[in-house]
Amino acid sequence: MIGCEHHHTLEIRNLTVRKGGVEILSGVDADIRCGEVTALVGPNGAGKTTLLLAILGQVPYTGEIRFCRAAEHGQGAPRIGYVPQHLPLDPNAPITVLDFFALSAQRRPVFLGASRKTRESARESLERAGVGHLLRRPLGRLSGGELQRVLFALALRDAPDILLLDEPVSGVDVAGEELFCDFLSQVQRNSRFSLLLVSHDLSVVTRHADRVICLNRRLVCRGATTEVLTPENLAAMYGADAHLFRHAHADGHGHLHDEGGK
Amino acid sequence: MDTILSGVFALMDRLLPFAFAEPAFMKRALLALLLTAPAAAALGVPLVQHRMAFFSDAIGHSAFTGVALGVLLGVSPSWTMVAFGALVAVAITLVRGRTDLSPDTVIGVFFSTVVALGIAVISRQKGLTRNLQSFLYGDPLSVTDAELLWMAALFLLVSAYLAFLYNRILLLGIHEGFARTKGVRVRAVEISFSLVVALVVTAAIRSVGILLVTALLVIPAATARNVARGAASALWISAGVAVLSGIGGIVASWYLDTATGATVVLVAAACFAVTALVGAAVPRR
Repeated sequence: MIGCEHHHTLEIRNLTVRKGGVEILSGVDADIRCGEVTALVGPNGAGKTTLLLAILGQVPYTGEIRFCRAAEHGQGAPRIGYVPQHLPLDPNAPITVLDFFALSAQRRPVFLGASRKTRESARESLERAGVGHLLRRPLGRLSGGELQRVLFALALRDAPDILLLDEPVSGVDVAGEELFCDFLSQVQRNSRFSLLLVSHDLSVVTRHADRVICLNRRLVCRGATTEVLTPENLAAMYGADAHLFRHAHADGHGHLHDEGGK
Repeated sequence: MDTILSGVFALMDRLLPFAFAEPAFMKRALLALLLTAPAAAALGVPLVQHRMAFFSDAIGHSAFTGVALGVLLGVSPSWTMVAFGALVAVAITLVRGRTDLSPDTVIGVFFSTVVALGIAVISRQKGLTRNLQSFLYGDPLSVTDAELLWMAALFLLVSAYLAFLYNRILLLGIHEGFARTKGVRVRAVEISFSLVVALVVTAAIRSVGILLVTALLVIPAATARNVARGAASALWISAGVAVLSGIGGIVASWYLDTATGATVVLVAAACFAVTALVGAAVPRR
């Protein structure tokens, strides 16, 4: 078994994504290291979600994305977990959290009920995320924080090599955000997988990410969080409004938006 | 074939010793509804989740053109309606997947185009309007044995289809990108689903007509949403409402002397109203 530490889980080389003749991402190089939290930051429209989609193989790209599977997960294609940015929830939808787990876990159609195996693994995953009581609740009526824990629990159920989180703390209140982040680092310490996190929230990034990839249609910079998040780099990424981010740094809780990025 | 049907009719005589079930056309109507209404209602649950009510309406209206083309070509309109509906369904789904236009815009374009084409064809053919009447309002009392067998085959097809793909369809309705990461082949699911919906819609037109066919998919599913707590109960409540309104509508129309298709839809609407009240009275978490 090869030790995980000095291993890249994911190597991205010269990644370019075009859509309708426009280059959304050009020549991006990046590494996601095993067992680390990597944050992907950049203004709106910087191509962060596109990069995730490229990793997921859901958009055509040129360049290379190489996966290296964690040794303890055995052979075969790497498992990628994905928590989307917005799950547009229909409060009325007759789908419980258990149904949601069953949809991707069992062959038996959900209208014939969840299998025992599904029920047990769902309960176990939810309890690990501290939300075991949500099992029978309608998915559409969860609060933002509850939903994110459910999504996270579902992503972890499949023991991913890489977990992609798109804006995991958007639309969640501060308390929910703290809980979520604590939970994140807890799980991160216990299980061996890498995490790629898209976030606008500098405080989340500085507190939880080991490394940062700054993106604005191309790679602006990458490296250890403390070295990378300098005013100069932020200015390069978000444009002239760098004072916004010094302010963001000072109170430690700023949200980055694209005011200067257009 | 005939022996199967006469066997079924004999069984119905035993089970339903009522005046309304005596004539053979009433038995056919009842069978037609018991085969198509639950299939439509079961498909209606994911249809509503995918916000595709307008899509099924467009397929329903494409029957207009399908029937007109059948008469024009000298083929049985019941079959050209099915074929044309399936064609329009696949065309809408393919175009929808390749454009940035919103789905309802794409459907709106197809909807008006096929209806316009239908009217253009009809206006050239004198005496076609009478033929169209039974498709417009539905006429389960004139369902033929061949149509009944087609409906039975379709019932089995829909059951098998949903047993095989239901989870993937629902997952896709929750989030497309997420569904993809769970191995759902999005385009294949979308096309097959729209095709199955088209087959059921065109079959159900015989019972309730072009104008009301969407009701058979949407009202039972909406009724289920009022009270269902999970994915399993939603489908069974929807199918149950369909069976209830099928039988209730036929019986009521016999005694009230009203149009059968419309009466079936009214019974379904009554189910919706009752469950809406129940749902409002019993708070759910």
